[in-house]
Amino acid sequence: MQNKKLKWKSDFEKSVIIENFVNRGWIKSQEKEEESTDWNVYWATVWNVRNIFNPKNGFRLNDQQIINHFPNHYELTRKDFMVKNLKRFKREQDKEVLETFNFDFLPTTYIFPGEYSLFVEEFHRNPNQTWIVKPAARSQGKGIFLLRKIQQLKKISGTTVTSNMTQLNLASKENYVVSRYIDNPLLIGGKKFDLRMYVLVTNYKPLKVWIYNKGFGRFCNEQYTTDVAEIENMFVHLTNVAIQQYSDKYSQKHGGKYSIDALKLYVESAYGTDALQRMMDDIHNIMLTSLKSVQAVIQNDKHCFEMYGYDILLDSNLKPWLIEINASPSLTTTTPVDKNLKMNLINDVYNIVLPNDDFPDNEQKCNYLFIQCIEQQPTKVGGFTLLYDESLDPNNRKTQKRQSVKIWK
Amino acid sequence: MQQFDNQEILMKLKSSKQFWDIKKKLKQGLGDQQKIGVNDIQKLAQSCEIEDQLIKLISHILKKSKKRETLKEDQIEFLNTSKIKWTELLFKNLDIVHQKTKNQEEDDTNTDSKLYIYDEKNLLAFLQTFKQQQQSNALYQNVQFQSNKLLNINIPLKSSQSILDKYQYLLLQEELQDDKINKIRKQIENEHLDIELEKIAQTFVPNGERCLLYLKYFEFDHQETVLQQNFAKLQKECLNQLFYDELLEIDGHEISEDTFYFVFQEQILTCLKCFIRDRTIKENIRIQLQNGVKKEHAEFQLPVTGFFPFKNISKYVAPLCYLSTKIHIIYALFKEFFCRYFCFLHAISSENNSILSLCMQIEEIVSTRSPKLFHHLKVIGCDTLKLIIHQLVYCFIGDMDPPHILTIYDQIIGHDSLEILVILCVGFLNKYKPKLLLAKNQENVQQIFSELREDRFQELVQFAYKQ
Repeated sequence: MQNKKLKWKSDFEKSVIIENFVNRGWIKSQEKEEESTDWNVYWATVWNVRNIFNPKNGFRLNDQQIINHFPNHYELTRKDFMVKNLKRFKREQDKEVLETFNFDFLPTTYIFPGEYSLFVEEFHRNPNQTWIVKPAARSQGKGIFLLRKIQQLKKISGTTVTSNMTQLNLASKENYVVSRYIDNPLLIGGKKFDLRMYVLVTNYKPLKVWIYNKGFGRFCNEQYTTDVAEIENMFVHLTNVAIQQYSDKYSQKHGGKYSIDALKLYVESAYGTDALQRMMDDIHNIMLTSLKSVQAVIQNDKHCFEMYGYDILLDSNLKPWLIEINASPSLTTTTPVDKNLKMNLINDVYNIVLPNDDFPDNEQKCNYLFIQCIEQQPTKVGGFTLLYDESLDPNNRKTQKRQSVKIWK
Repeated sequence: MQQFDNQEILMKLKSSKQFWDIKKKLKQGLGDQQKIGVNDIQKLAQSCEIEDQLIKLISHILKKSKKRETLKEDQIEFLNTSKIKWTELLFKNLDIVHQKTKNQEEDDTNTDSKLYIYDEKNLLAFLQTFKQQQQSNALYQNVQFQSNKLLNINIPLKSSQSILDKYQYLLLQEELQDDKINKIRKQIENEHLDIELEKIAQTFVPNGERCLLYLKYFEFDHQETVLQQNFAKLQKECLNQLFYDELLEIDGHEISEDTFYFVFQEQILTCLKCFIRDRTIKENIRIQLQNGVKKEHAEFQLPVTGFFPFKNISKYVAPLCYLSTKIHIIYALFKEFFCRYFCFLHAISSENNSILSLCMQIEEIVSTRSPKLFHHLKVIGCDTLKLIIHQLVYCFIGDMDPPHILTIYDQIIGHDSLEILVILCVGFLNKYKPKLLLAKNQENVQQIFSELREDRFQELVQFAYKQ
């Protein structure tokens, strides 16, 4: 059943995408690139996905087409929308009798310009606190800086900002998120790092989530310090590879990437098995809670799946914090190990979303899900492990207006 | 360590699980007897072999309590003179390296990377010279030398079969269930006697308890403050720069490129700088590496450790960085591992654990059990030992992922021996045998090993026993 001659299209000239498609015996869609609709499998940019699902364009996907983003993925992957949805979900959950979600993974965050005055109050309450300012919709560390003085906000307002101002006018139209800076990150070898982990969502309603067993820590090249003199040194504070690659200590050999397996071994050996288990449970909680927070708002189109890149920071107590969720995690490969990881990742994604290159229709999909409820379904495909399947959750109660689900363990 | 008195022996006994098992057996054997005399206990102990067990336990404690002495003289005189020659050679290399570093300081474009005193290839090449010397020695005229082996020197050698038999149990090891793992965890927490810890290390060590096992085995578990203070003293001494520091920094470049160890680069360097200043190493090391020949008017003498740092010394520290967040613990473990075990990999000696013995064991096994491979490698100019010397000397660090390296370390402790490396080297050659047999020259062989590969501990053990 495999090796059907499906037609593929990709907006990314990335070997891990193209080689995977070619290895499956799929053929490239021959129509003119920008306008081609004659495809079965499309690895698209978020902008092209938006165009495809724009009702004004009058384009409807057929049953033999699958695409790698949900129409309004930005509810989760824009920093400001992610914060907004998490806060909303928390308020909803606080009203529930059964408190089942732990939200203590999002650092205190304010969205500018709307929440500027709230931020100023908090800022004055904690004058020794460092904050991190990020554009809501940019990537690769662009536009990010650390804030110790209100006056620094001139960078984004374009005009002088004083501590008694209650309103902030931004120079550009984009929103910013300002979060409490986690200034006690877990250090290994004296350096700060964050985690990049991959999560595949094949369906939002019911929610079905797979977690990938390979990921990596992205290390800074400079020793971490809270010294105020180094606050603008991005090689100390920002873990983005796009930034660290310009450090003269950057290595092409490992690219500053440290495997999740190595990190787990380190945490277990140095802190104990229980500490590792708690850390992983907390990370899984972050993933599930964040996905549940947008479950009600995401347009659950049957043609869609999404592979997210979760950025998580561990603090010195091994507590994980959610930094952001990426809709288009980088598929650039910086080392042979990196290439191996991403090749297998994409391969496993398609083994899940198109098992045997089959497109089940909607009715079949429902039947398939029903049958899976009864029969033993795979919980492991390649490097992916099923983290959560709401259709198997016995405590699932669906109402017309809201859902309240316990995380099935 | 001083000789224990009776009270100390009793304390040590009481910290052993075996002691409590013996006591339980005695209690069960004596049952509900009202009056129990010493004779009753002795009779019972003799009848069910408890007395033997107790004697073994006590003698083990006494043996461990004796001060560890550094082996300086080998039973084979030829090797003692060879050690002197090796030391002289290293002094010469040191002069060359020093000159090179001076040239580099003067000329930035000169980036000669061979800034080390010796590496594993130099060591093997030196060991190779023994064969020619022995052949010309009148004492060995009647001994038949097999010319196809790289090293076939007349030293007492354990039988290869005994090594294969010793580790055969590893083939039967299965993945343990959670309840068994929990039992082992409790054992490690409760056990103090090294003979019991060795048994655990031979079987399975959970990642979360490995550091504790190692600390207990080396009797560091209640010594943290002392370790911290000693390390702090050494760190202070590092403020005075030594020429060897420069060599250690250069050595650290390779580990800084390793995907598993680059994060520990600074810690590794700090540990090594302290190591070469540590005066206690000379009295703690199990075997003398260089014979301490003092070169008069020389700009540099041997470090206070009594031996020169060598290429890739950083590798020995690296895996231990996984075990603790505290650098003084990492240092203490590295120092102990080196002084007890890794020193033998650089020792000109006939001891069982020495590089010479291990190499000869490997040649013996491969030439006997895989003669086709052995011969083929010779024919294409790529000797068996030259192929695996790097893996052997550096315990596969850099070739296997850290969990497998730590399993090797467990086995080293478990048997108080480096012989596991013989098994793994044989397994390594057997694993790649099909490709090696197709290789036509050294370039082909290098190609095989330059490809991305993953070698695992259990896998290599399995291959070692495949015919």
